[in-house]
Amino acid sequence: MKKLAIPLALCAVGLVLTAFSFMGSKKGNADDIDISIEKSSFIMPAAHRVYANPDAMDGKYYLFKAKITNNSSQTLEDVTVKYRIPNYVDWTELTVSGEMFPGQTLVVPCYPKFKNDITEKTTESVEKAEIEITWDGADDDDIIEEDFSFKLTNRNEYVYTGIKSEEISSWADMYDNDALIACFVTPNDPIVKYYTQNLQEKLLKGESASVTRKPEDAVRFLTGIYEATRRSHMVYSGTKGIPKSTEDVQSIVQQVRLPREVITGNTGLCIELSVLYASVLSAAGIDPIIYMVPGHAYPGFRMNGQYYAIEATGIGGEGLGNIMSAEDAFKQGQKQLNKFIQQSQAGDPRYTIVDIHNVNAQGVTSMDLKDNDFMRKKVDDIVASWSDGQQVQPNNNGNNTIRVPDNRIRTNNNALSFAIPSGWQTVMQPAPQMPILTAQVMAPDQSTTVSVFDVQTNNVQDAMLTINQHMMNFGMEMQYQANGGNGLIGQTYSSNGTFNWIGKILQTRQGIRFVAVGSPDYMYQQNSGIINQVYNSIR
Amino acid sequence: MKTLVKNIIVCVLLFGMKINAQSQQKIEMRIDSIGNAKLNISMSMNAQEWQIWNSNYGNNPSALKRDIERGMPAYFLDDFKLEKDDMNRSFNLSLNAYGACEINKRGKWMVDTEQKNAQLTELAENKYMLVSSPPEYGGGLQQTFIIELPKEAKNIKTDKNAFGKSVFEFDMDAPSSGFNVMRWAGILLVVIGGGWAGKSAISKNQ
Repeated sequence: MKKLAIPLALCAVGLVLTAFSFMGSKKGNADDIDISIEKSSFIMPAAHRVYANPDAMDGKYYLFKAKITNNSSQTLEDVTVKYRIPNYVDWTELTVSGEMFPGQTLVVPCYPKFKNDITEKTTESVEKAEIEITWDGADDDDIIEEDFSFKLTNRNEYVYTGIKSEEISSWADMYDNDALIACFVTPNDPIVKYYTQNLQEKLLKGESASVTRKPEDAVRFLTGIYEATRRSHMVYSGTKGIPKSTEDVQSIVQQVRLPREVITGNTGLCIELSVLYASVLSAAGIDPIIYMVPGHAYPGFRMNGQYYAIEATGIGGEGLGNIMSAEDAFKQGQKQLNKFIQQSQAGDPRYTIVDIHNVNAQGVTSMDLKDNDFMRKKVDDIVASWSDGQQVQPNNNGNNTIRVPDNRIRTNNNALSFAIPSGWQTVMQPAPQMPILTAQVMAPDQSTTVSVFDVQTNNVQDAMLTINQHMMNFGMEMQYQANGGNGLIGQTYSSNGTFNWIGKILQTRQGIRFVAVGSPDYMYQQNSGIINQVYNSIR
Repeated sequence: MKTLVKNIIVCVLLFGMKINAQSQQKIEMRIDSIGNAKLNISMSMNAQEWQIWNSNYGNNPSALKRDIERGMPAYFLDDFKLEKDDMNRSFNLSLNAYGACEINKRGKWMVDTEQKNAQLTELAENKYMLVSSPPEYGGGLQQTFIIELPKEAKNIKTDKNAFGKSVFEFDMDAPSSGFNVMRWAGILLVVIGGGWAGKSAISKNQ
């Protein structure tokens, strides 16, 4: 019997080990699940719809993302990830993964759906988010619970960047949230709509810029907004804008009064006035633009590929003096816009635009605001103040001194004239190696170009041959055909691709002038409106 | 739903680069047996593009990594490796994306292309090609995606989700749990002990 004791003991140990090997891997437990969380330091209620939308700005704005790895040797079934934010969001299922294999990683981003009343939040608070991870057959002890805190700002707070201070390397990083200013643009706010309707009806006595798509009509509307603010004695005034730290993020946090608050409070800072203009322009069907420059912002609009601006803070205030007329504010805005374009083309990253409708299309949409009788009455009082002066006259009326810039290029011998869209840049003799290229006019985004060639010959074919020869010296080749009358249509090929154009042949005292306007082939279709507009204005 | 393919389109755009002629970019996405993706992005450029790319990223790979991470905010990425070939003005960037595909409630593995009516070409049993031209470049950039699903993937189907976007759907078994030392040691001891006991019992009877 003694001889059997040792082998039987070995058998027993072997059985125990085998049993343990099955017991130990029967199912995963909390220790086998590795979880790491990356969270946002703050949430801006004004942008709650952006945070709720995984597609907005390609999913850039989330509350947290969790990386969950199954380190057990067993497949977990029905892995469920839930979260909640007490007082704001109830338990919400983020994902259910049917199976989670050993070693598999699950990445779960959370785009929280706050209720619309979050836009009524007027104080800042620190909130807690709770996360729960469970799976089929998990014991109560195995349920994973994690939490973290974050800052929920008030509805007026606009945080310029969410990038950690140690990661900031450029101006763009410091103003990484520029697009979110569009959340403060509220064309659908009933108060803004009411204000816009009154502006269109009572001050402008009719307005049709969104229908006619004529820049002069839109400029009339833009200056009409200015006139409305000036007549109601709206004043420029500052609000709190201070640097704040939230864990790893350090940023300027600006209090931005909403357009309805600017209207009824009759005062605003540059960014607030810009947001008001953008809201009213958008409500009227015009594409609003906010120009962001170092230490300042001003509004404008884009129409038919052209950009316009106004200096909204020209209203100043009686206490500040220097109240500009609408004409001067528009001139000042256009002057600033010229500088903006120059700086921007020179590659200065501090000069940026927020194209409101463009960022709206990327999911950055405005906050929901409820109607308010008190505010409507305030708007009525403001509208009454407009009747003190005269209405803004239509652009074609002789009394109006505001004119849309003509921007026509004219040569001394009166041989050439065509309309240069606002914001485009003219360069005389852009290529000294090609003396026949007299001038080039370029769109701000450089996608559309007008080229003016002067060739000393009286024969059109010779002129085109000369131009083509010059082109060949630069590795380019033209092909073209007649396009009715003195028109030509063609392409220029080079290693940079194909450039499509339409052009006109003009006779000058010195010879032949050829003016071509076009775009790279892949952009020609989308720029065809402005190309035809320029082409038709060539005289 | 994971939308890795579209996010790659966004992240590999080589920010700040002005695309002149049609540039070509090749993106290989190899998914392993636990749903992680290994990405290889390669591109050749003309002299002007190469100069701009180098000044933005080529000489500052940390900026490239940072911008890719920002361009793909919903992912956990790591193991970035950048290889430049200055002589041929080309680069190859590789990185890992965790949890690029996952198993849905019905137990099916899903990979979302986020492209409507994607023209997928089957190159091999588990290998597909997708050619895309991101509209933000007006046709100036052509991206060729090679999507390689795990060898273990079965019943691969290309389907459309509720939004009409193309998705891959397939079955895959759990990878074997590997060599379990405790279990095999236990079995070995039972065999040795049993053999020893048997031998002792036989010799005792003799």
